[in-house]
Amino acid sequence: MDRTRAVFAALALAAALALPFTAGPFWTGLVTQMYIFGLLALSVDLLLGHAGLFSLTHASFFAVSAYTVAILQVRYNVPTALAAPAGILAGTLLALLFGLAVRTRGVYFILITIAFGYVVWGVAHRWSSFTGGDNGVTNVPFPAIGPVAITSHTQYYYVVLVAVILCGLGYRVFMRSPFGLGLRGIKASESRMQSLGFRTSAHLYAAFVLSGALASFAGVLYVYYNKFVNPVAASFPVSVEAALMAIVGGTGTIIGPFLGAAVVLGLRNWVSSFFEMHHAIMGAVFIATVLWAPLGLVGIAGRIRARLRKARHG
Amino acid sequence: MAENALRINELAKVFGGLAAVDGVSLKVAAGERRVLIGPNGAGKTTLFHCITGTLKPTSGQVLLFGRDVTRLAEYSRTALGMGRTFQITNVFADLTLAENLALAIVGTERRKWVLHRPVAAYDDVRRKALASLERVGLEGRADQPAKAVSYGERRQLELALALNTNPKVLFLDEPCAGLSPAERQRISQMIAGLPRDITVLMIEHDMDVALGLADRVTVLHQGRVILEGSPDEVRANAEVRDVYFGHA
Repeated sequence: MDRTRAVFAALALAAALALPFTAGPFWTGLVTQMYIFGLLALSVDLLLGHAGLFSLTHASFFAVSAYTVAILQVRYNVPTALAAPAGILAGTLLALLFGLAVRTRGVYFILITIAFGYVVWGVAHRWSSFTGGDNGVTNVPFPAIGPVAITSHTQYYYVVLVAVILCGLGYRVFMRSPFGLGLRGIKASESRMQSLGFRTSAHLYAAFVLSGALASFAGVLYVYYNKFVNPVAASFPVSVEAALMAIVGGTGTIIGPFLGAAVVLGLRNWVSSFFEMHHAIMGAVFIATVLWAPLGLVGIAGRIRARLRKARHG
Repeated sequence: MAENALRINELAKVFGGLAAVDGVSLKVAAGERRVLIGPNGAGKTTLFHCITGTLKPTSGQVLLFGRDVTRLAEYSRTALGMGRTFQITNVFADLTLAENLALAIVGTERRKWVLHRPVAAYDDVRRKALASLERVGLEGRADQPAKAVSYGERRQLELALALNTNPKVLFLDEPCAGLSPAERQRISQMIAGLPRDITVLMIEHDMDVALGLADRVTVLHQGRVILEGSPDEVRANAEVRDVYFGHA
């Protein structure tokens, strides 16, 4: 089993490395977006799939980080080596504030995070002297750290690939750590966790901040790819789509949010080329997932594997 | 006289107009086995919830080894040495038995905050979890999810979870509820075998189990203590018989 997995991972890595040479710039760009939004979806799933908290404000951290990088780089000529960490820091500071939402649970948590998201979107949209209003901040350069400068989208593709792989490996350790296990415990039974000595609100708060930091990192990767940032990045649909990607791909896993990002972005690109109401298609996919594959694509793969094993062993 | 492990002063819990617990005072000596009995609705579980911090009492005081813990959160009381089981089985259904126990083991330690190292890398946690499973008769089940084992086995797991928080005072809320006679015997033997440095408070409906394990028995009725005494005294008492079986 582990061997199949290793072979699969090696093939996927080879395909990812070869992509810019075999596919054109269109596909390379689409897959870059898939990595970036997959990472955002992964950050949402840190709360959703492990702790059972449904956040709809993750576009906030993503956008605040992207805006911070864009403003520092474009207006103040701050180098990437400072601007990128500043972006993550800004998004994480916001998560320290918004994390107070963990005082609520269930539908109240969802509602409060929606409200937070609208505040950030409103600021980005209305405070035009600072954020550039609807136009946002444009002409963001490629990242350059010291003598190492990225000069093309192909090169940047590899930067994002490495970043995503490192995040995935780190996330894997996190998932299996005592802290990560604690989150799954809270999802399963918060009352029991408290009686075992866990201060569950503090645990969830820490997870929220960590999740916000990861979303902020995705925001940094996004702004250097996109070259501009406008209020759309902070908007409610971005938060919803990130959650959707995690659910369609399979919550509680690492690969799931990335598969979900591939499905959502791929469908949107393909369907919107011939059908104007592509949002309706996304809605249908989401409904179908919730009804027939609540564990997402990863869940479907697991079911197929179980059936094959059964067939083989009679 | 030995130090009191637990002291309750005039504890009350009011829900709307109903006083579920109505001024209960208790002293439990260190190492004692105390059983709470009483008919349904007597306020036993509510009293437990108030003592362990699941619920905030309306008034009154809870002292653990002389320390006032009335205002402390449940997790702080656990850190100070309270451990409990639930009347309605409360285990982590999606996690394996070993993972269930790992949470109980690290719950009272700083290691619960570690996020850069897998749980599996801590040999001592795994060893302790396996030893604990063996002690409650769940050997060989470590890597099965809790939802895949039987109800009786989940009750055993429930007990193992409470024991792994290093309790000085253990609160067992009907540990034998819903079990077959054989399983019931196994659990009561386990409880009887607990070391005397753990003080045990237990709610139990089964009179044989209750009176067999208890040093002293407290009888609750309509939120009040109506009798406290040795098992023999309780067995002989007419008022208890009235409460349980009605007037002749």
